[in-house]
Amino acid sequence: MPADITADSVLSLILEHQIIESAEPVTASTDLFALGMDSMAMMQLLLHIEDRFGIAITPGDMTRDHFATASAMAQLLAEKRT
Amino acid sequence: MSTPEAFDVTVVGGGSAGVAAALAAARQGARTLLIERQQLLGGMGTNAMVHTFCGLFHPDVSRGPQWLNPGIPSEIGMALMQRSGIHKADLMGRVYVLRHRPADLAQLTAELCAEERHLTVLTATEVTALAPGWTITLGDRTIHSRAVIDTTGEALLARLLGDTHWDLAASARLYRPAYVWSFHGLKDELDEPLRLRTAALIVRAVKAGALPAAALGTTLRASPAKGEVFVSTDLEAGGDRWDPTDSDQRLHLESEGRALAHAVWDFLHSSHPSFGSITPPSLPVHAGVRESARWLGDYVLTADDLIRSRRFDDEAALAGWPLEMRETARGPKFRYFDQPEPAGIPSSCLRSSSLPGMFFAGRCLSCDHEALASVRVMGTCLATGQAAGQMATAFRP
Repeated sequence: MPADITADSVLSLILEHQIIESAEPVTASTDLFALGMDSMAMMQLLLHIEDRFGIAITPGDMTRDHFATASAMAQLLAEKRT
Repeated sequence: MSTPEAFDVTVVGGGSAGVAAALAAARQGARTLLIERQQLLGGMGTNAMVHTFCGLFHPDVSRGPQWLNPGIPSEIGMALMQRSGIHKADLMGRVYVLRHRPADLAQLTAELCAEERHLTVLTATEVTALAPGWTITLGDRTIHSRAVIDTTGEALLARLLGDTHWDLAASARLYRPAYVWSFHGLKDELDEPLRLRTAALIVRAVKAGALPAAALGTTLRASPAKGEVFVSTDLEAGGDRWDPTDSDQRLHLESEGRALAHAVWDFLHSSHPSFGSITPPSLPVHAGVRESARWLGDYVLTADDLIRSRRFDDEAALAGWPLEMRETARGPKFRYFDQPEPAGIPSSCLRSSSLPGMFFAGRCLSCDHEALASVRVMGTCLATGQAAGQMATAFRP
């Protein structure tokens, strides 16, 4: 059963898999690129998102706007699930 | 050509730190010898195709790119900008970096060294033994030198002296090496949308079994030259058994990197229209090793010193690059300094009072594993190398 999609569930996936590690608190609205997220980290994130939420991300979905924050990712995933 | 067999300063390792050390010493009038095992000077920035200079700029990016260390670091940075036609450093996240072409760095370092009449350069040469005083053996040849600088990146000279003067992190924690290669002929600009789409394509190919899992550590970056792209892949390299000083493991790393370069090239070339006319891979001389053995000097610089932007009375150089930790091949983890202010690197990290006349700089200076994540970058290596060159020139037994 794929997990529920919320900004918090996306954020916990990011932190759990250490996609971003930061000395500063990371929230659902933190700009992840400003914390050093790069294309390599996004590749790891993609694998985990697809596993947990059962949603396939297309190359066209892979934009800065969709991935800048956990909230933005949750919104993209929710749109793709419906 | 006959080479004089006595020198004031001998620098072992001709990467960023070694070139800066040799230039600094020769410019102060020291009879200087620079020994490099490869044919090209420039170290990782040429032989391993590392194409970004990190650590050249002040960590406070709100003021725009400000050169952090005066002298040779900013001289080489400005000369590279001129040669590659770059007018401004790139802001990446919270730091400035300078892109360069490895061939430009190879040519620049060779020219700068050739201009120094007190400097002799020996390439394709290995140091095979060392004795205090200092006597340096290069196969069947012997060199005498008042002072010696280890800029080998792997504390080679410390290891030749025995087990007491160096340290090496546990295999599982060592920062992972990168394999960097390049291609030409990209028709479109490698902008962020294309870089991210390509990353997603590689993930799909790995999931479909069309590319090995190691391809997940891949990043594409645009060269300053139009149509040229650098492809960098962090490799797990033996995981918790990785030993960068073991020649069998190094050989395996090279063959894995080479095979991966061809697989990624083949995939990009055949599966994405933007990459339809790219040239086959241009390969590096060797993979880029990020961490190996480090010297243990009079002081061991710590992560805490850097994060708190600590300053020292006997400061040799400034560090400004965040701790960029790559203990896995799954992407860097950045730890920024608490304040956007540089940290000092004391001269006591570049010498050991138990070995008068021995100095060390660059990636094998005296610091702990965490601090190395910051000070290992090429811009900082230029700065510590320059300082070691000046210290070695001033040394009197």
